Amino acid sequence: MSEEDLHALVGHRFPGGVRTIEHWENWLLSDCTGGGQLGGDLVHPIALFHVPIQGAGTSIAELFELCGAQGAGSVGLDGYDWEYFAPLREGVEYRVDGEVTEVERTVSEQTGRIADRFVYAIEMTDPEGVLTARITNHWRIRR
Amino acid sequence: MTSVEVGHELPQWEMGFVDPQRMKTMAAILRDPYEVHWDHGAVRPLGFDRVINQGPLNLSYVANMLMAWQGPSCIRRLDVRFTTPVFEGDALVARGTVTAVDTVDGEQRATCDVRLDRGDEAVLVGTAMVTINAPVDG
Repeated sequence: MSEEDLHALVGHRFPGGVRTIEHWENWLLSDCTGGGQLGGDLVHPIALFHVPIQGAGTSIAELFELCGAQGAGSVGLDGYDWEYFAPLREGVEYRVDGEVTEVERTVSEQTGRIADRFVYAIEMTDPEGVLTARITNHWRIRR
Repeated sequence: MTSVEVGHELPQWEMGFVDPQRMKTMAAILRDPYEVHWDHGAVRPLGFDRVINQGPLNLSYVANMLMAWQGPSCIRRLDVRFTTPVFEGDALVARGTVTAVDTVDGEQRATCDVRLDRGDEAVLVGTAMVTINAPVDG
């Protein structure tokens, strides 16, 4: 991917959509964390990785394609900044929208290898239009 | 009611064995096609003999520590960096220290430095904000 093509990604909006977290999904997700079930209809906070991506009408595979990731070892996680304005709940239909917000190309002085910073942000609102959560995920794409 | 002060060390939370079977379930839930999480053949060319845990799972151990401390609806913000990969079979410990206590929107909130350690090595570092004495049902 050229540097020009990389910078053209900023402002790319995902299709957007709605997403409901089902009980089975939350149960399995919580089980994967080893922390047990939360009880009631509370969703494990770690759902803020995949639910915003899927709810925004995209996927991890499409994000890899968008940022030009190729092969094992090409994608690294830099970090997440996740804000919770209200607890996530099972059975609630959230509106989800987001876009690519930042990119940056870096070249290693030692190896000359290119790595691109790729940042996207997604918001979730409840059926009343109240902002429930916002995520900003930072990935690093090794070329 | 829990009293929380700056400098308070959170009760640590341990993941004694990062289970590759859980990574497979997680990959299915996430619809994550990145084979480094479930295919040993994909990580060998990278010089590894164990598959790599998903970042969200690493963060979940920190979230579990926070929820065990202040309740399942306590988390208001997680801002973290991943410093090095976590592998199947690793033993991890989530730790945290309160750095500030403030009142925000009528709730008492604690800001904490958090980290996830593999032995003496931090694999995740960052900050978290939690509501103190959060209601159990949110």
